[in-house]
Amino acid sequence: MHALQHILRRAIRSLWEQAYLNSVATFVIAAALLLMGVYLTVQFNLNAIVDSWDSDVHVSAYFKDDVPEQRRFELRDELAARREVASVRYFSEEDARRWLIDRVADIEPVLDELGPGVLPASLEITLVPERSNPEAIAAFARSLSSTDFDDIDDGREWVERFHAFLSLLQLLGAVLGALIVLAALFLVANTVYLIVYNRRDEVEIQKLVGATTTYIIAPFLLEGAAQGVLGGVVAIFGLWGVHRLLVVRLQEALQLGVAGDLVFLPVSWRLALLATGVVLGVLAAGVSVRRFLSTAA
Amino acid sequence: MIRMYHVTKRYGDVTALRDVSLKVGKGEFCYITGPSGAGKSTMLKLLYGAERPTEGKLLVGGVDVSKLRGRRLPALRRSMGVVFQDFKLIDTRSVAENVGLALEVIGTPRPVIERRVAAVLSIVGLRGRGHEYPPTLSGGEQQRVAVARAIVNDPSILLADEPTGNLDGAMAIEVMEILQSIQLRGTTVLVATHDAGLMERFPYRKLRFEHGRLVSS
Ligand SMILES: Nc1ncnc2c1ncn2[C@@H]1O[C@H](COP(=O)(O)OP(=O)(O)O)[C@@H](O)[C@H]1O
Ligand SMILES: [Mg+2]
Repeated sequence: MHALQHILRRAIRSLWEQAYLNSVATFVIAAALLLMGVYLTVQFNLNAIVDSWDSDVHVSAYFKDDVPEQRRFELRDELAARREVASVRYFSEEDARRWLIDRVADIEPVLDELGPGVLPASLEITLVPERSNPEAIAAFARSLSSTDFDDIDDGREWVERFHAFLSLLQLLGAVLGALIVLAALFLVANTVYLIVYNRRDEVEIQKLVGATTTYIIAPFLLEGAAQGVLGGVVAIFGLWGVHRLLVVRLQEALQLGVAGDLVFLPVSWRLALLATGVVLGVLAAGVSVRRFLSTAA
Repeated sequence: MIRMYHVTKRYGDVTALRDVSLKVGKGEFCYITGPSGAGKSTMLKLLYGAERPTEGKLLVGGVDVSKLRGRRLPALRRSMGVVFQDFKLIDTRSVAENVGLALEVIGTPRPVIERRVAAVLSIVGLRGRGHEYPPTLSGGEQQRVAVARAIVNDPSILLADEPTGNLDGAMAIEVMEILQSIQLRGTTVLVATHDAGLMERFPYRKLRFEHGRLVSS
């Protein structure tokens, strides 16, 4: 109990006395966490977007030009009656044109230039949730008559490609994250080694008067934990700054309303980032004190 | 208290101790003497576990020091007080903190440390000097801080390596009197020294070494 007080006092004093080296270690941790945080924010937002697509799949069936309007309505009602179909919406050529003009500024002259038939009319079919899995959607798409429809887009291809892209991004992130952690560990461990080295007299004498290895190491580990917490807090504030900046920039760049949905990392992820910082700090301290004790016998 | 059986210590090619066997009883006051390079410091280092014997067996309080591992070595050192030849004081810590360190590492509460430190500082004649820093003290004063740290934990064995080496006559006598008083309280005291005058004034058993051999005891 009292030993704990002594250890705490020692750690706090060292933080203070070696403020410069401790700041270096803290900023290295902060930088590493910031990089990881930026990556995680991107990943998190992309995941959220893809999830929203997953829950919002529909099949677009594009009519051939020569299908009369009467037949189009018949097909719509037929499909709406099917059990697996939740809803069907008819999307006329004019609807498609307006949808695009709403979203892409200055495209109207281009569409006029291209003339009619560029944007075919379509049915937008939403399946009941039980049938919204990739296989069921594909089967449904196949069941649609090919005499009436020119092209059937089940929306899966694109989503799947994006899923593949996300997996790749995840893998890349894991590799990059590991590299960042290793680099940070290396830098922090070397910084902490200097901190221990500056206190070598104290460490040697502690050993000579009967301090256990645990007792000698503990203050350094606490110091590492403090670096981790401080680094984590700095990183989270920095991340928040980057996030604000991105939201504003993105909103300026694209007027799509997508940027408004760019969310900050949820609390649990922020805590995980903080915990990573603490683990990093403690691990680095442990590694360097061990190294110091084994070389300085 | 201390038993050595055929202890040899080699540092590479240098043989610092050769086939030393001896016995020191509990509560005894003993000199370890001999010319410079005879192996006096090495003897003490073996006893507090800073070095391990190359050959032979070494018991302190019934514990085989040559085999101490892990937590057992700190435990041994806590039962000892050591006055190092080079003092080993932390320059950036106050006198009181230096002395209190031996109690701190065993988890003694702060108020108890403060009381004990004040008490031993007055024993070594440094009453009220606890807030000063080692580099501002004279050699003799630093030596006495080292003695204070060695006795602050009421050790059952006190090892002192040339504890009067840096002191003038009067001060040397004062330090010897402190060591004597420690022995009177039941502590086994081993003092490495080559100061013949001092040994004459305070006559005790002498373990005399020459070239690493125990030549008389
Ligand atoms: N760490 C060491 N490495 C190599 N030789 C050493 C070491 N320590 C002591 N010695 C040698 O061992 C011999 C005994 O040294 P020491 O025990 O310090 O003698 P004393 O204290 O009696 O002067 C000397 O020859 C010394 O040079
Ligand atoms: Mg010596």
